[in-house]
Amino acid sequence: MRHKGNKIVVAVAGQPNSGKSTIFNMLTGARQHVANYPGVTVEKRTGKYSHNGNSVTLVDLPGTYSLTSYSQEERIARDFLLHEKPTCVLDIVDASNLERNLYLTFQLQEIGIPLVIALNMMDVAQARGHVIDTHKLSELLGAPVVPTVGNKGKGKQEVKEAIVNTHKNTENGSFRIDYGEKLESILGLLEKKLSEDLDISASYPVRWLSVKLMENDSEARRLVEKAVSA
Amino acid sequence: MTMDEIRPGRGCRIVRQNLGGATGQRLMDMGFMPGTKVEVIRNAPLVDPVDLLIRGYHVSIRHAEAKGVEVEQL
Ligand SMILES: Nc1nc2c(ncn2[C@@H]2O[C@H](COP(=O)(O)OP(=O)(O)OP(=O)(O)O)[C@@H](O)[C@H]2O)c(=O)[nH]1
Ligand SMILES: [Mg+2]
Repeated sequence: MRHKGNKIVVAVAGQPNSGKSTIFNMLTGARQHVANYPGVTVEKRTGKYSHNGNSVTLVDLPGTYSLTSYSQEERIARDFLLHEKPTCVLDIVDASNLERNLYLTFQLQEIGIPLVIALNMMDVAQARGHVIDTHKLSELLGAPVVPTVGNKGKGKQEVKEAIVNTHKNTENGSFRIDYGEKLESILGLLEKKLSEDLDISASYPVRWLSVKLMENDSEARRLVEKAVSA
Repeated sequence: MTMDEIRPGRGCRIVRQNLGGATGQRLMDMGFMPGTKVEVIRNAPLVDPVDLLIRGYHVSIRHAEAKGVEVEQL
């Protein structure tokens, strides 16, 4: 069979105002389509491009500060990641607000989909005198980190390259937050229990679900209760 | 003491946050964790919002919310 390249689906996530739409436009140009997420009036923008024979579809997720089930936008972003299982997540991180933005990055990582991190607003970070060691950051997060300046089109090729290479990076997705002895001992129990339920462990990332149960997240509870009563 | 008692121009450090639910989560998203330093930029009695500088960015919250954040004055 002739190799025709891969079909890659990329979810574009990021905190509000991090430059998601700008990067989305930078990558897809005019090839965009706008619809709504099923049943809600939140806009779902998709776009396509091809790179080295791979056909890449981008889906712009709503901008959210985190991935709880408190707001409709967060639930939409989260459901898309959990149920549609994209090939990777392009996480747009505002380099000038790195610490706050990484909060979402960690939550994305916990869902377990490979990440490509676009470290956007590098010009703003530089103007503020922030020096960011992108190699170190990439090493610590176990994911590629590409510096970008979205409104200047900087980093476009590098982001495209990182996206088609996600499947080659075996480190990707291996990052894990250590919540400390006290919490980890309970998380360990939850993870074990959830792994034993084959329906749950086949459908949801067990680590993520355990953390959410500890946060008393209503949606996570619903998922588990539904699976148990089925 | 709680964050709503801090006068403009003064700094404080978060001791704990007693807000639950969506509001508590939103503040956590913004980095309102124990040990974090916060500078109060604007805080007039009965006038919302309270403007804060935390981790290098500005955040505005209501008095009622600031009341749910225990702090020590610096
Ligand atoms: N200086 C600078 N500005 C940027 C950069 N990327 C995007 N912007 C600008 O930042 C603003 C916000 O960008 P958007 O792309 O709308 O951000 P967003 O994440 O889609 O925002 P929401 O959808 O509202 O959450 C726009 O004015 C962009 O032109 C960058 O790298 N540097
Ligand atoms: Mg946008």
